[in-house]
Amino acid sequence: MPGATITEKIVSRAMGRKAKAGDLIEALPVDKLYFNEVIGPPAILNFEKDFEDVYTESGKKMQVFNPSRIAFMPDHTVPSCSIKVSQGIRLMSDFAKDQGIAMYKEGDGIEHTIASEEAFVLPGEIAVATDSHTCTQGALGALAFGIGTTEGENLLATGELYSFTVPETIRFKVSGKFQRGVYAKDLVLHVLGMMGEGGASKRVAEYTGPTIDSLDMEGRFTICNLSVEMSARTAIINPDDRTLAYVNEALARRQMTMTDEIRGMMARSDPDANFAKSVEVDASTVEPTVSLPHSPANAKPVSQVSDPIDMVFLGSCANAREADLTVAAKILKGRKVSPKTNLLVIPASRRVYNWAMDNGLLKIFADAGANIESSNCGPCFGKHMGILAPGDRCLSTSNRNYKGRMGSPEAFIYLGSPALAAATAIEGRIADPRKYLPAGEN
Amino acid sequence: MQMRGKVAKKFGDDINTDYIIPAFLLQESWDKQFFADHAFEGYDPSFGPACRANKESIVVGANNFGCGSSREQAVYAIKYNNVVAVVAQSFPDIFFRNCLNNALLPIQVSDTSKIAVGDELVVDLDSKTLRDRTTGVDYPIVATDAAIELMERGGFLGFVRERLRQKLKAEPMKASS
Repeated sequence: MPGATITEKIVSRAMGRKAKAGDLIEALPVDKLYFNEVIGPPAILNFEKDFEDVYTESGKKMQVFNPSRIAFMPDHTVPSCSIKVSQGIRLMSDFAKDQGIAMYKEGDGIEHTIASEEAFVLPGEIAVATDSHTCTQGALGALAFGIGTTEGENLLATGELYSFTVPETIRFKVSGKFQRGVYAKDLVLHVLGMMGEGGASKRVAEYTGPTIDSLDMEGRFTICNLSVEMSARTAIINPDDRTLAYVNEALARRQMTMTDEIRGMMARSDPDANFAKSVEVDASTVEPTVSLPHSPANAKPVSQVSDPIDMVFLGSCANAREADLTVAAKILKGRKVSPKTNLLVIPASRRVYNWAMDNGLLKIFADAGANIESSNCGPCFGKHMGILAPGDRCLSTSNRNYKGRMGSPEAFIYLGSPALAAATAIEGRIADPRKYLPAGEN
Repeated sequence: MQMRGKVAKKFGDDINTDYIIPAFLLQESWDKQFFADHAFEGYDPSFGPACRANKESIVVGANNFGCGSSREQAVYAIKYNNVVAVVAQSFPDIFFRNCLNNALLPIQVSDTSKIAVGDELVVDLDSKTLRDRTTGVDYPIVATDAAIELMERGGFLGFVRERLRQKLKAEPMKASS
């Protein structure tokens, strides 16, 4: 009998019985559930509308399945940018208070960053949230994916996901050392280019190999985050010592410590597990990469691109953690943003923001002429903070460059790494980060 | 179960949910009809009028229809323009499940290239066949039995309510750990 993938092991653990790819699970218990302020409010309203009579009938108060497994994280357009958004946040915080659910504050951070930084999601868990980039948590070795509003309300009631098919896995074996100026973002854009926007549909993208082993956690989050752009069900990386160290730190932030139970949840794919497909990637051939308008899979080496850029956005759940800001600061230190270009920097969480302040990075960005905003999704959501006009060109470290994503459908969005973003901000056109990196540094 | 409709719109590969309903509108209403009024607004503003011209419309895509963001408002935007089904060659999971939860039929067939705007389609879930009455071509519907059952049931809600009822009965005290 062949071994199991990490995905199969996580589902098996949750079900208390062996599950394999293709199995249909009638009711899958979920470990963690989180909501942003986009989908939280309608999910709460629907939960009340669709289930109130069931609770009344049973003579019980309306109570979510387990408040300690739920968190609310307003992040998309905060500080609130409209009356309706404010009403939604108020609705969430009233509900959270009534139900005993943790409610984060506006500016605490982007949901997928908080979820890992605060050890809300742990390795081996099943985590779902009302956002497609929930797959970011796969970097922890968790099985995590996005859900819609209706599944959100169902989960509030029962903590279960219904009619779940255990997904097959595509294994990406990544070997080779990154060239100078190449990062996890370049690698994943390159992979999207290989696979196309629908290339991993319904399957889990599992990243393995020496390149992934040597990658820092920030890089792993970036890779998992963008995997949904090839329509992967989710992405996952087998937890290792780096994961353990990251989780230890995250637990300490909440005055918690590692337990045997948490460690015992960590699962890894068996070498002889069944993979639907294996894809070999040679990371040493990847150049600094840009995805051109209007598809994340439209990846090109930077050597082929030098388009003028009006706005650079360094932020989002894809690329705004410590390592991301560090490399951008290295490049921007002592330099100025092009007079033709706006640079917008939005750290991924309040913690990252304060860390960047304490370590002088915010000063480097400010001295260079950047606009720095408190933590939120920023212009990636296309509703506030840097909306593009027709004809505008933006280089963004986020994950989606669809037509109209950040404002006008007649604007152009390019995706790249934080290093490439910093170099581009200096030149006012898409630029190769290698010429600005300090000698001997990557 | 059978559903009939007329093809009102046809799209190519990789139609993402940002194209179906742009993000800046998502928080501005909790009313499903609001999203229908803005469907494909920045991408193809003729979508709403074309779909509403029929009592029952069908939208046709190619590969990977509904990719990207998990926003369920994309399903409301399509459905509440008199659309009963979306026919495509593939759907990513989140959009597919959002369709099932809202009784908008996500119908997968291997090739949509010969289906044209104006064609009269019949979705027959019992025989798992999509019939193009205009061209006379039958297409086998690719779907698991579980998905067909959910399409016939119109989503999970009845099941979830029953599940909650059982759970509340089984747990005299509220679950808190």
